[in-house]
Amino acid sequence: MHGRIAVTGLGWVTPIGAGRDEVWEGLLAGRSGFAPVESFDTARFSVHVGAEVRGFDARPWIRRLDPGRLGRASQLAIAAARMALEDAGLADLDAESHQGRERTGVVMGTTSGEPREVERFDDRYLAGDTAAIGAEFMGLYPCHMIAAHIAREMGIRGPVEMIPTACAAGNYAIARAFDLLRTGRSDLVLAGGADAFSRITYAGFHRLGAIAPERCQPFDRDRKGMIPGEGAAVLVLEPLERARARGARVYAEVAGYGLSCDAHHMTAAHPEGDGAARAMLAALADAGLEARDVSYISAHGTGTPTNDRLETLAVQRVFGEAAARTPMSSIKSMIGHTMGAASAIEAGVCSLAVATGRVPPTMNMEAPDGDLDYVPNAARELDVRVAMNNAYAFGGNNASVLFRSTEH
Amino acid sequence: MRRVVITGAGVLSPLADSPAGLHAALCAGQSALKPVELFPLDGVTPRPAGEIRPFDPKAYLGERNLRPVDRTSRLLLVAAQQALESAGWTAGERAAREVGLVLGTTFCSVHTIAEFDRRAVQLGPSYASPMDFANSVINAAAGQAAIWHGLRGVNSTVSAGEASGLLALAHAADLIRAGRAEALLAGGAEELCFESFLGCERAGRLGLSVTVPFDARRDGFALAEGAALLMLEEAGSAAARGARVLAEVRGHGKAFNPAGAEDEASAVSAVARAVHLALEDAAVGPTDLDVLSLSANGSVHGDHNEAWGVGMALDGAGDRPVAAIKAMLGEALGASGAFQAAALLGTFGDGVVPGVLGLERTEGGFPLAGVRAETRRLGRAPRLGLLHAMAWDGQSCALVLEAPPEARP
Repeated sequence: MHGRIAVTGLGWVTPIGAGRDEVWEGLLAGRSGFAPVESFDTARFSVHVGAEVRGFDARPWIRRLDPGRLGRASQLAIAAARMALEDAGLADLDAESHQGRERTGVVMGTTSGEPREVERFDDRYLAGDTAAIGAEFMGLYPCHMIAAHIAREMGIRGPVEMIPTACAAGNYAIARAFDLLRTGRSDLVLAGGADAFSRITYAGFHRLGAIAPERCQPFDRDRKGMIPGEGAAVLVLEPLERARARGARVYAEVAGYGLSCDAHHMTAAHPEGDGAARAMLAALADAGLEARDVSYISAHGTGTPTNDRLETLAVQRVFGEAAARTPMSSIKSMIGHTMGAASAIEAGVCSLAVATGRVPPTMNMEAPDGDLDYVPNAARELDVRVAMNNAYAFGGNNASVLFRSTEH
Repeated sequence: MRRVVITGAGVLSPLADSPAGLHAALCAGQSALKPVELFPLDGVTPRPAGEIRPFDPKAYLGERNLRPVDRTSRLLLVAAQQALESAGWTAGERAAREVGLVLGTTFCSVHTIAEFDRRAVQLGPSYASPMDFANSVINAAAGQAAIWHGLRGVNSTVSAGEASGLLALAHAADLIRAGRAEALLAGGAEELCFESFLGCERAGRLGLSVTVPFDARRDGFALAEGAALLMLEEAGSAAARGARVLAEVRGHGKAFNPAGAEDEASAVSAVARAVHLALEDAAVGPTDLDVLSLSANGSVHGDHNEAWGVGMALDGAGDRPVAAIKAMLGEALGASGAFQAAALLGTFGDGVVPGVLGLERTEGGFPLAGVRAETRRLGRAPRLGLLHAMAWDGQSCALVLEAPPEARP
C-alpha cells in the first residue's frame, strides 16, 4: 500500500497550444482557441466555430508506432504521454527495466474514442462501397485502443485501462490511477484523457442547440452555449515517496476523489445538482478535508445555460457560506469543451495552480450569472493549498478530484 | 481488508435468459451459433453468430417507454433487473442506499453512433436524432441502466475488448475493497450489429470454418451478444441485510502485452503474469484451484497464447478442468468475461464443468490437460475458480472466485 500519490509530469495538447509552458501561459493570458471549423464542412450547420488542435504535428512524438496507423485521438494521446514523461524526468521510460514496465500502467478516458473512424466507415457505407472498409476499422476505432496505443508506444506492461465515461472521463481515469497506485498494483501510472474533433460530436451538440456561435462564456448571464473541442492530456502519477527518492519535482498530490451518478437524465443535469454535490462531498470525505479548505475550483463550466446554473447551485449546496469566497473558473472559456480530455487538461490546471500559486480566469465574462467568484477575465495570484476539479457527463456520471500541496 | 462477495446474477445470452439456464445449456452442449437475422449481411460473407432471438424487451421490462433505449442498453436493463432481483435489492432499498454500476463494453453501440452520423450526413444536421446522440457516448448503457433502475452510486464504464467484463468486475471489487462503494452491479454488455460484424470480418477475426476454442483447426471466432451482471457487495453489509452469498471475489490481476499477439513470448508472459498476480492478490497457490474458465474463442494466436500463458502460471496445476464457453456462446466482446463469471457460479453450484463443444484435437504439446470436449462432474467440490480473459489489443485480466462453503455439492 502506498499512501500519498504525487503528480510529477504533465503533457498537454490543446486548441491553444501544446506542452506545459505554452498552454499554461496561454491559459493565464486568456488566449482563445476558437476558430472556424476546418476538419469538415460546416455549411449545413447554423454555427461554424470549433476549438480544434491546429498546427500541431504529433509525428515527432510517435517514435515506435506508425502514425499512419493510429487514429487522431491516439496520436494526440501519445504526444501528451511523451510530453508528460519528459516533464517528469522519465523520458527514458523506454530504457526502464522490463520489471519497471510491468509495474507501470496507463489509464485513459474518452467520450467518443476515434469517431472519425466511424465517419470514414459511414462515408464508404453511404457510397455503397463497403468493400473499401478494411482491417483498419477494427484496429483503429475501438476506444480502448487509445490506452493500448500509449502502452504499445512506451512498452508498458502493467494495468492498461480505458474508461469512456464521456465528459468526466479524464477525472475517472485519474481516480482509477490513484487507486491502482494506492493499492500497490502499480508504481507509475500515465493517466489522462483524449478526444478527436468530429462531425458526430458537432452534429450532436448542434442538434441539442448547445453550441455557441462565436465564443464560450461560462457563468455569464449572456452565455450561449459550449464550443466543441479536442485535445489530450496525460499526468504522470506516482507514489510521493518514490518521487522524492528519485528527486522528481512534485506539482501537487492527489488528495482524493468522489464519483456519483444522477440516475436522472442522459443529457441533462439533475435539477438540484444532486449528483454533482454528492461527488464533491465524497471527494472531500475521501481526502479528509472540509469545503472551506478548498482554495480553488476548476469548474466543469461548459457555458450552456443549464450546466452553469446547476453547477453554481451544487457548489453553493456543498460549500455553503464558503462558496462566495472560493474562486472558481472555467478554462472552457478559452479552449472549449475538449470532451474526454477536458477534465484531464483541467487536472493539469489544478496541479499547476497548486505548484505556481496562480489560477486561470474565466474569459468572456461581462455579467456573472450567480454569486460566486468566477475569476473573471484575468488570471489571479492565489495561494492554492487545495484545488477541486469538477467534471460532469452524459449518463449522469459525475467526478470530483482533489489536488493539494504536499506541504500540509 | 474489506471482502467482496457476489450476491446476485443476471444473464441475457443467446442460449438462455438466466444464470441457471445459461449453465444448463452450456453443460448440455447447446450451441448459440446460427445464421444472422438481425441485420442484412450486405457485402459480408455469411457466418453464424450468437444472436439473441427472439428478444422482446417488454416481456422482461414491462410497458415503460423503451424508445430512448438502444439494443445494448436493453440487453443491459434486463440483466440488471435480474441481478438486482436475485440479490434482493428492491426499488425501495435502492432509493434508501446507493447501488452503483461498473459496466464493461467494447463499443456500447457502434450501431447507434453510425446511424446517428449517417442520418445527419444524409438528411442534414438538423435531422440528426437527439435521442441517438444521447446514446452515442460509450457510457450510454450504464447511464440508461442507472436511470431505469435508480442506481445512484458510482457509475463507470470500462472498455477492454473481450476482457471488458472481467475488468469491470475487478474495478468494482477494488472500489468496494477501498470503501468507495458498498454495492455495485458489475459485468458487461455488447450488442451484435452490422458495424462490428463487418469490422471483425475485415480484420480477419471471424472464423470461416472452425470457431472451436483451443482446437488445432480453429481459424477465428463467431461474434455474439448479450449482457451479464453480478451483484458485488461488501461482505459485512451483505450479511447484515441477510443476502445469500453465491461466491467471493478473492483477487484479480492484470497485465498488458505491448508487442502484439504475434510476439508469442511477450503475449504468453503477459497472460502468465495476470494469472500470477490474481493468485497473489487472492493469496492462493495454483494447486488450490479447482476449475478454470478461459477466454479462448477460436482465435489462432490468442488461444495459443492463453493456453501456454495459463499453463506457465499454473505450473503443474494445468490439469484442472477448463471451461471455454465461447465454444457454445461465441465471442460476445464486452459481455464475455461476465458470461464466464456467471457460468462459473453455476459450476460452483453443482460441480459440473461444461465441455468444449466440437473440440476434436488440440495443438501438439498442449499445456492444459483439463481442456476436453465432454461435460463432466468434478471429483471434489469446487472451491476456487480462476477466470481469465484476454483481448486482441494485448489486454489480460484474471480473477479468482471462491465458492461459499454451503454451495459446495
